[in-house]
Formats: sequence, C-alpha cells, structure tokens
Amino acid sequence: MASTRSDDESFEALFRTEYARVAGIANRVLGDPHEAEDVAQEVFIDFHRLHSASAQYAPAWLHRAAAHAALNRLRGARRRQKRELAQASDENANIMDPQNQLEVNEDRRQVRRALARLAPKPAAVLVLRASGLSYAEVAQALGVGIGQVGTLLRRAESALRKEVTRGTSV
Amino acid sequence: MAHLSEGTLRRMVDDPDAHGADARHLETCQDCQARFKSVADDARSITSLLAAPALNVDVAAAFDRVRSAPTARPRFGFRLPVVRPGSRPMVLAFAGAVALVALLATAIAEGGNVFAPNTVTPVPVTVADMQALSELGAYGTFSWTTKPQLQVVTGAVEAASASGLRIPTVAKLPHGVSSTITYGAMTKAVAQFTFSADKAAAAAAQAGKPLPNMPAGMDGAQLTVTVGPAVAEIFGNLNAPASGSDVTQANLPQLVVAESSAPVASSQQVTVKQFVDYLLSQPGISPQLTAAIKGIGDPSTTLPIPIPVEYATSSSVDVQGVKGVALGDNTGVGAGVIWVKNGVVYAVAGTIKQSDAVDIANHLT
Repeated sequence: MASTRSDDESFEALFRTEYARVAGIANRVLGDPHEAEDVAQEVFIDFHRLHSASAQYAPAWLHRAAAHAALNRLRGARRRQKRELAQASDENANIMDPQNQLEVNEDRRQVRRALARLAPKPAAVLVLRASGLSYAEVAQALGVGIGQVGTLLRRAESALRKEVTRGTSV
Repeated sequence: MAHLSEGTLRRMVDDPDAHGADARHLETCQDCQARFKSVADDARSITSLLAAPALNVDVAAAFDRVRSAPTARPRFGFRLPVVRPGSRPMVLAFAGAVALVALLATAIAEGGNVFAPNTVTPVPVTVADMQALSELGAYGTFSWTTKPQLQVVTGAVEAASASGLRIPTVAKLPHGVSSTITYGAMTKAVAQFTFSADKAAAAAAQAGKPLPNMPAGMDGAQLTVTVGPAVAEIFGNLNAPASGSDVTQANLPQLVVAESSAPVASSQQVTVKQFVDYLLSQPGISPQLTAAIKGIGDPSTTLPIPIPVEYATSSSVDVQGVKGVALGDNTGVGAGVIWVKNGVVYAVAGTIKQSDAVDIANHLT
C-alpha cells in the first residue's frame, strides 16, 4: 500500500511540475488552449495508467507524447474541420477588429496545416523547441543525441517554410 | 577549418554567447556569417509563425479532472515502462500474461517446489479472459517487495550491467528491419499479492455475481512472485516513423528480442492449489481458460504463453535445440517465437514473417 501512495504522490508532483508545459506543447501545435488542455490531460492519464511517476524518463515521455498526440489530433480531418468552423465563428464574433484578426487567424491556420503535413519527427522538434524546451530536453524527448538537435531543427524549419509556401501558392 | 554546418549555425542562433572554435570561425568567416544570418532569419520567422494564443492553465482544477478520470488508476497494481498510448491490447495481453504466469508459477510452488520451466505451451485466451485476469487486482492488494527498476539504457553493455544477463546478438536482420536498437532492462523484482475477502466480495457485487465459496485461510493469503531480471532489444527507429503514416502505428517496433529469467513463486496461509483454483473460479474467467491452464501436462516445467484465440495460430518449433512455440504466419503482419533454455525465457517477435522469426531465434548468439 505504501508504494501505491508514494506513486500517487509522485504523480501529483509530476503533474504540478509538468502540466503547464505539456499543455503548452499541445497549444503550440493546435493553437487552441481548450483543446490543448484536453490533450494534455489525456497524455497524463495515459502516462499514469502505464508508467511509474518516479521514472526518470517521465518528463521526456510527457513532452514527446504531448507533441505527438496534439499532432495526431491536428491531422484528424474531422476535428480540423470542426476547429476551422469554430475559428470562422470566432472571426465573425470579432468583426469589430476585422482585418488584423483575419490575417492572424489565416496565418495560424496556414502554418498549422503545414505542420500537419510534416513528418512526425520534424514537426515534433519544431513544437518542442518553440515551446521553450532546451536542446537537452528536446534530445531526451525525441531520443536523439543533443548534438543532432541543431541539425534536426534547421531541417525542420526549412521543411516547414516549404510547406507554408506550398500551402499559400496552391 | 571547414565551414560550419547548418546544424551548428542553428544551435549558435539559440546560443549567441557560445565560444570555442566554432564561434571563432564565425567571427572571421564571411561565408558562414552570411549563412548564419539566413539561418537566424529563418529561425525568427518560424518562431513567429508558430506563435500560439495565450494559455492560462488552472493546474489544480486540471489535476482534479485527471484524478477523477476512471482510467487514471492502474488496473493491475503496476505500470509498464515502454508501452505507448494506443497500445491498450498490448497492455491487456501483458497483464494477462503476467497473471497467467503468476497463477501457474503458484501452482508449481505447491509443496515448496521451485518453478523452473524448460518448455513453453500455448494457452488460448480471449480478450474477455485477459480483461478478467487483469481485474484480479480488484481481489486484493499488489505491492512490490522489490520494485522493478525499468529503464531504457544506452547500449548492450549498460543493459547487461543493469540486468545481469548476457545480451543476445541477432546474426542477421530480415530485409526492411532497421538496425537501430533501443535497449531496455529490468532488474529482478519481487511482487506480493495479498488476497482480500472484502475486496473480492465488493468486486463480485459490482459485477453482479455471487462470490464463490472461499476456502478457510483465503482472506489475507499471500502469493509472492519473483520476476526478472529481463532485457529487451527493440529494433526500429522509434523516433522516425515513415512520413505520412500514422504516428501510433509507425512507432511500434519492427522487431523485439527479449530475454528474462524464469519466474519463481510461493504462497502462504492456503495451499497454492487452493489459491489458484479459487482465483480461476472468479466471475469473468471462462471455463475454457480454466480448463486450459489446469490441462497443462507437467506444470512444474511448462510456461504457459497466452495466445489470443482470434489473432494467432501457434505451432511447435525446434529452436536452439529445444521445443518452442511459434506464433503468427508468413504474411509479415506479425510473428514470434518463444522458448525456454537453461532457466531463461527468450522471445523474438515483430512485424516479420514467422520463418524470419524462427531463423533469428535459431541464430541468436
């Protein structure tokens, strides 16, 4: 019993330390705070069901899972359509601040469509780094050497730029 | 000095205070300075593209939601280290396998015998059986006398040192299987299961079934199972799924080679036969599974391998001079071989042909 209690306590401590960051990663992918929190909570539930919260790899696992779960959700066609409809209605609601808001929303949609088209690893490296993870943390989350992160990041940025350009020129 | 790579330049964008040979080169090389500027411009523009709306989280409220989620608690009193989200059938299968091994090992421990399997036999199970077995955690309390230390290690040497086992080497990989290996290791662990009459009654009531008559001494009876050490070699680039494929699927390993010391078990307060018979009589466990486990010829030397009835065909094969069980077929969808030699359980499995699995098993050194 003691070990169960102690694992629960470890899980709570892990949750308090990592939740904001895990939700931040999902938000970086989805551009939608509510959906990002859904993803973050699912990630923690999956983690708690399968892993010990005192495992050394816990933060790295959570960061990686947050990126992949959010990217999976971004790729889901049904959810994407739903999100775009919701964003469209937001735009209507924000009609008082028209041009600027429209442009920001359109940019966000475009970059997220491009992100969804990237292979999982470059997409993950971009969002993890953009979410403020250090090179060491990105390396741990993706299971690569720290020396590879700069190269992966550079390639991922080039790939995203290409995808964004492709998206706008189509 | 050669010009700086794009990756180095990108890292220097994030670390403008870096010094050393790279920084000195950049100070004096106009070509690299121009490339640095272009890399830095790209990085800035991507950062701005990836801007996201503000996120204000209420951690306490979020924790309450997660804690109250019905799946937030482990079903079997322990958690697994490497299985990814989306692999629930694997978790169920694993929990079922552990429960079966525990039950059989317990049966063997009767009379103080040590469970030392030297052969394996398939036991057909249904998904419902596995679920029912994994729910046995509701009939008592699991605790670790010695907790398993599960870790992903950097290589074969560390895996050997963490587990105390000799790491097997695959002679030749089938075409298409990545040579990238992730090593996992588990130290020896001792788990205790204490049966609780109150919990069992509550679990049966929840299932709407009566609790079968309990033998005297069953309440509080203890089962001790020692598992591991174990190692796994996971082949496949887990971090780089094929572009455009589903992430969950692409992250599955192409091939796993695992090795574990055989489990050992003992019990207190009731005879082990009583313990096993009583657990197998719980609601939800099919009579077919009960019969299959009880039907194993010589349980003191046989390790049961749970095979989902609807997924796999199994056959007996010769592996490394002993009898093993081969699963799956030659379509490449999935196959595996399991055998026991010198008190160690080995498994080779993956999205490969059965003939490849048998070949890898036979040439494992």
